[in-house]
Amino acid sequence: MSLAVTLPPIHRERLSNGIELVVAERPGVPLAAARLVLRGGASLDPERRQGLAHLVALATRRGTRRRTGAQIDLAVESLGAELGSGVDEDATYYGISAPVEGLGTCLDILADVAARPTFPSAEVAKLRRREVAALAHDADEPSLLADRAMLQAAYEGHPYGHASEGRARHLSRATRGEVVSLHGAGHVPAAAILVVVGRVRTSDVLEQVRRRFAGWKGAGAVPPTPPPPAAPPSRIVVVDKSDVTQTQVRIASAGFPRRSPDYHAGAVASALLGGGFASRLMDAIRVNRGLSYSVRSRFLPSGEGGLFAISTFTKVETTAEIVKVALDETARFADGGPTQEELDRTASYLCGLFPLTLETHDQLAERLADLALYGLGEEEVTRFVERIRAVGAEEARAAARRYFPVDRRLVVAVGPAGKVAKALEPFGPVTVLPVGKVM
Amino acid sequence: MTDRAERILDVDAVRDHALPNGLRIRLLRDTSTPTVSYYTFFSVGSRNERVGLTGISHLFEHMMFNGAARYGPKEFDRVLESRGGHSNAYTSNDVTAYYEDFAADALPTVVDLESDRMRSLRIDEATLEQEREVVKEERLLRTENSVFGLMEEQLESLVFQSHPYRWPVIGWMEDIQRIGRSDCEAFFRTYYAPSNAAVYAVGDLDLDATIRLLERHYGDIPAGPAPVPVPQGEPQQRGERRAVIRFPAQAPALLAGWRGPPARHPDAAALDVLQVCLAVGESSRLRRKMVLEAEVAVSVSVSWGWRIDPGVFLAFVELPPGASPDRAEKILWAEIEKVAERGVSAAEVNRARALLRSGVLHELATHHGVAHALGQAEALLGDWREAGRALELYAAIQQADVRRAAREYLSEEQRSVVMLEPQRHAAGKAEAR
Repeated sequence: MSLAVTLPPIHRERLSNGIELVVAERPGVPLAAARLVLRGGASLDPERRQGLAHLVALATRRGTRRRTGAQIDLAVESLGAELGSGVDEDATYYGISAPVEGLGTCLDILADVAARPTFPSAEVAKLRRREVAALAHDADEPSLLADRAMLQAAYEGHPYGHASEGRARHLSRATRGEVVSLHGAGHVPAAAILVVVGRVRTSDVLEQVRRRFAGWKGAGAVPPTPPPPAAPPSRIVVVDKSDVTQTQVRIASAGFPRRSPDYHAGAVASALLGGGFASRLMDAIRVNRGLSYSVRSRFLPSGEGGLFAISTFTKVETTAEIVKVALDETARFADGGPTQEELDRTASYLCGLFPLTLETHDQLAERLADLALYGLGEEEVTRFVERIRAVGAEEARAAARRYFPVDRRLVVAVGPAGKVAKALEPFGPVTVLPVGKVM
Repeated sequence: MTDRAERILDVDAVRDHALPNGLRIRLLRDTSTPTVSYYTFFSVGSRNERVGLTGISHLFEHMMFNGAARYGPKEFDRVLESRGGHSNAYTSNDVTAYYEDFAADALPTVVDLESDRMRSLRIDEATLEQEREVVKEERLLRTENSVFGLMEEQLESLVFQSHPYRWPVIGWMEDIQRIGRSDCEAFFRTYYAPSNAAVYAVGDLDLDATIRLLERHYGDIPAGPAPVPVPQGEPQQRGERRAVIRFPAQAPALLAGWRGPPARHPDAAALDVLQVCLAVGESSRLRRKMVLEAEVAVSVSVSWGWRIDPGVFLAFVELPPGASPDRAEKILWAEIEKVAERGVSAAEVNRARALLRSGVLHELATHHGVAHALGQAEALLGDWREAGRALELYAAIQQADVRRAAREYLSEEQRSVVMLEPQRHAAGKAEAR
């Protein structure tokens, strides 16, 4: 099986104001996807204002010098388009997916939202109230609580150590002035990457982009990146959710940043351990023991560091068993490495899935934006298959030994502490946190 | 709009064929990427179940990955993944669908795998016990520890008093515990026979060769008995039905539902348009009124899923912590009544059509999406060609249709409401032993 992964011809240029522009023209459905990325993201949240970058990303579309929030909503949606915005630890993202004939208007609105928001006081106050209330609903989702607690414990004290949605008590004190200030610091053309993909003509897109984005001035520099994070501490954290009958479990260890030379060996090792239905963890936990509906492992690489994480869940009574099985399987893999059959199968699986992650205009736009954000070349896509195929059994084992949670590991469990903390004591000292400490 | 839609999904290019054993085959060649998506739809879902065996369709879906005569336990995924493919499946109220996405040259392997399990699935006690535990964990995840899952289960059993849509697709916990091997064997003979199935393959394939390949692999599998008809009795609703869930949640929520028309009814598309007018996008009526203006809701969503029998039109509202639901309810009912009385504007219908059109384009942008759309159309509407007519349907919906649909289906007398009342735990209560 071989699949040549090719990219459509890609036009790249840097506009005079500093915006990095990427345009890909490809056949397919008459849609276009545009993605505007601003370097920075939730790692720019000030001390005691976790969630501020997220609030900025939502607030920009609530009014600009030329349009009210309601006008933006109506203009976009009447074209059959959707405008989304969001934040992760490394960047703020605006995405729009539109029928090609509406692309010009959508780009105009995108430029307007990024460069010229007015942050009407009443709108910012409403958004702040809504986001604080939304966090209360998030607290009812055990899997979200587990992800939040893992980030917080793994990256304690580091700018990566919080969910981008932030915390209720921080957000509820955020002022409009803080929103304006963070927008000013991060939403500058020098920090911007704009990607357009679709059934478009590159020359048309260039003309549109130059017209709509050239007026975006701003002398600000690219925001600083955070320092590399320390390795997660070796500890056990139980978030006390006394009302659930199923425990959410995360097991984490230090991973690597996105540009790491271990990226491909890590991808293969992680897929062997916990990717797909035939992986070691799936076999041990779901198929052989019926302990869970799902288990997976993955690397979570960011700009300056990363994690390796195993995620699963099981009924409260079998919490200790699932942690033990997961740790045993992980250690067994790190010790012995994969068989040749496993290695070949996993490489085929990853290489077969890969083209399907680039099928739609939105998917390709997202991929090209990530490459630009992390300073990676097109060969990340075009030579993916070759690089995955080149990973040998010994390299996969070395990646597992280096990164998997064998000697040092952070275990996070969300469940009734009265039962779960005791069950996890054999794995090390347990810290119990109330839900409020992770929200 | 219509012309463009037909070029996007050229239904005339679909090759349809049926084997003597009843297996329906629909193939579409599209060489834009060197992959194939292969869907197998079985005409069985929770609507074909009975009390005592609820959840068997879904549990059985799990059993399908546990080995057959030629490919034994654990081999299905291993063989498929070694050929660069991946698979999954889902069970709904109406259908059970399996898919594989893979590099085109793996087609013979996929056909071999799929026909093997249709012909000779192994159903043994040990595997059944294992899958039962997995499904129980799935139910704990999606229903018993999920606010929305709890509310949805409660709502459907209010909206439907008699029809099998009354129980959740995953089934009641006690039934999951009860389903036995002989139940599974009888289920397999009837519902997984080729006479109850259809195969959809879309992608880089040769039509004639694929038909021959399928004939070779599936041709000797015997047809099954005709499934028993699904009971349709449902008492007429003559007033609001209401339930309260007290649960240790952080914030209240409201879920309302109305019984709609079956998928084949022309009003199904009108309700799609109404759904978008009400709650898709920031400028939709409910989103604007409840979230952006009055701030009585943190979020609001409306869902209308087409089903073979009359399905349910749902509105879900998440409220701010500590808020009284009265004001949110009042605004919600008033907005719906407003549509029923005065209708929606032409601009709103145009906006809805544009958003629905984009949704269809997104769906049809991949081989996977096209294969699924063909299968879904045949399962729900009786004809895969309907997949190519979605935009035509929406283009035909007028303002008056939206208003009539709101009036006909979303009345106070016909609504059911589930309220989530957060209940705080007393400290230490859960730790009592």
